[in-house]
Amino acid sequence: MAANLKRDPEDLRQKFYWFCLWPAFMVLIAVTLAPTIYLFVISFTPLDLTRPETSWDFSKPLGQYKIIWEDKRLHNSWWVQAKLSFWTVLIQMILGFLFALFLNVKSKLLEALRTVFLIPMVLPPIVVAIIWKVLYTPDISPFHWAAEGLGFMVPALITDPDWALWAIIIADIWEWFPFVMLMILSALQMMPEEYIEAAKIDGANVWQMTWYVTIPYLKGVLIVAALFRIVDSIKAFPLIYILTDGGPGSLTEVTNYYSFMQAFNFSYLGYSSAITVTLVIATILASWGIIRLVGWGKPID
Amino acid sequence: MTDQVQILRTANRHRLRRERILLYILIACLVTAVMFPFVWILIMSFKPSADMFAWPPKVFFAPTFDHYLGLWDGEFPKSFWNSLVTSVGSTVAAMLFGVPGAYALSRMAYKTGSRLSLFILASRMAPPIAFTIPYFLAYRYIGLHDTLFGLILIYLTFNLSLVIWLMRSFFDAIPRTLEEAAWIDGANMWQGFTKIILPMSGPGLAATAILCFLYSWNDFFFALILTRTEATTAPVAVVNFLDHEGWQWGKIAAGGTMVMLPVLVFSVAVRKFLISGMSAGAVKG
Repeated sequence: MAANLKRDPEDLRQKFYWFCLWPAFMVLIAVTLAPTIYLFVISFTPLDLTRPETSWDFSKPLGQYKIIWEDKRLHNSWWVQAKLSFWTVLIQMILGFLFALFLNVKSKLLEALRTVFLIPMVLPPIVVAIIWKVLYTPDISPFHWAAEGLGFMVPALITDPDWALWAIIIADIWEWFPFVMLMILSALQMMPEEYIEAAKIDGANVWQMTWYVTIPYLKGVLIVAALFRIVDSIKAFPLIYILTDGGPGSLTEVTNYYSFMQAFNFSYLGYSSAITVTLVIATILASWGIIRLVGWGKPID
Repeated sequence: MTDQVQILRTANRHRLRRERILLYILIACLVTAVMFPFVWILIMSFKPSADMFAWPPKVFFAPTFDHYLGLWDGEFPKSFWNSLVTSVGSTVAAMLFGVPGAYALSRMAYKTGSRLSLFILASRMAPPIAFTIPYFLAYRYIGLHDTLFGLILIYLTFNLSLVIWLMRSFFDAIPRTLEEAAWIDGANMWQGFTKIILPMSGPGLAATAILCFLYSWNDFFFALILTRTEATTAPVAVVNFLDHEGWQWGKIAAGGTMVMLPVLVFSVAVRKFLISGMSAGAVKG
C-alpha cells in the first residue's frame, strides 16, 4: 500500500507526458508517415493519370524500379546532381571557412553586420531565383551592361550549354555560403583561448595553427554543415525551375527536378514515385549520419 | 634599449592598422556582394518601365509606384492574402500540437526522445516531392486540391517537426525544479506546464512561431503543385508574371519585393528573439 502511494505520482506524471505527446505524435504520423507509405505503395504501380486503369495495378510490382535501371536520362540526372552538390558544397565550405576565419575578430561593427549575412538565406527561395534571373538576362542585367561597357562579350549564362550549370552553382553559393560561414563563426567564437595560447607558445605559424588547431577543433561543425548542405542541395528546385527549367537539353536536370517532370509534366506518377523513393532513402541515410555525428537535441546552429 | 622597444611597438601598431584596413575592405566587399543583388531588385521595383532597359543604367530617376499600383489592381492582393492565411494557419496548428509534445519529450526519459529524433529529422530533410505526390493524389480524391486548408495541412509536414525540434531544446534549458516546486505547492501537472513553464518560454515560443511562419511563407513547391486558381499563394503569383504575362519586369520586381518584405522584417525580429531567448534561459536557469 505504501509502495503504491509512492509510485502513483510517477505513474501520473508519465501518463500526463503521454497525454501531451500523443496528439503531436498522431498528427505527425498522419501528415508525414502515412503519405510516405502511400508513396512506397504507388511506386509499385505504373500509375499514369491519363490512363485510369493503371492505378492499383500491382501485376508487375518492381516494374518501375526496373525502368530506373535502364533510364539513361535518369542516370544523367544523378551525374548532374553529383556535379551540382559537389561544387556548391565544396565552394561554400571553402568560402564559409575562409571568411569565418577572417571575420573572427571582436568588433561591434561585425556583430551588427551578422544580420546582413542572414539576408540571402532567409529570402524566399523564389525571390532569390528571380533576382538571379534578372542578373542573368542580358537585356536587363547590370552585369551584362558592365561587361559590355568594358568591351567583353559575355554569353547569356543560363542558355549557354557550357555555363548553365555554373550559373545555378553561382546562385546557390550566393544563397547558402553565409549559412556555412555563420555556423563556423559561432563555433570559432566558442573556441577556448588556451588552444591558441598553447600553439603560440609552441611557436606555430598561422598555417600550422589553422591546420593543427583550428580545423581539428571545427571538425564536427564542418561535417554537420556539409551534410546539411548536401541534403539541401538534393532539394534544389526554385533556382532550376526559374533559371533554366532543366535545360539547355537536360544539362541542369537534377534528380529531384526530373522526378517532378515525370510526375507533373508527363503524369507518370508511378515512375516518379519510384525515383522519389530512392531520394527518400538517400535522405534518411544522411539524416542518420547527422544523428550519429551530433546526437539528438544538442544545439547545432 | 628603450628605443628598440619603442620602434618595435610602432611597427606593431602599423601592422595592426594595416590588418584592420584590410579587414574593413574585405567586409565591405562581402557586404556589397551579399546586398547588391537584392538591393537591385528593390530599386527596379521603383524604376519607370521606360528607364528599365536604358543604357547606361539610370542611377537617378523619378521613382514610380506604377508597378505596385498595377499589382494592386490584379489578382496579386488575393494571393498575398492566401499566403498570409496559410502561413498563420499552419503556424497556429503546428504550435498547438507541437508545443505540448515538445514539453513531454523534454521531460520524459531520454530513450524515447532519441528514438523519435531520426523520424523528426528525416521528415524535415525529405525532398518536398516525396510528400507532394501522395498529397496531390489524395487531395484530388477528397477535394482538397486548390484549397487553403489543403496547403495548411501539407505545411504541417515541416512545421510540426520544426516546433518539436526547437521547443524541446528551449524546454530543456528550463530546470525541472521549477515545476516540481509548483507541484509541491499543490499545482497539478497541467497548471505546472501552462502557468510556470509556458510564461517562461515566451521568447522561445515567439522565435519558433516566426520561423514556422517564414518557412510556410517561403514555400513555393507545394503551392505550385497543389493550387491552381483559388488558393494561389504570393510566390506562385509572382512566378506567373514571368510565365504568362510577357516578362513584366517591373511587376516581377514589385511582386518579389512584396514577397520578401515580411521575411526581412521578421528575420530581424527572430535574431533578437533568439539571442534574448537563449541568454534569458541561461540567466534565469
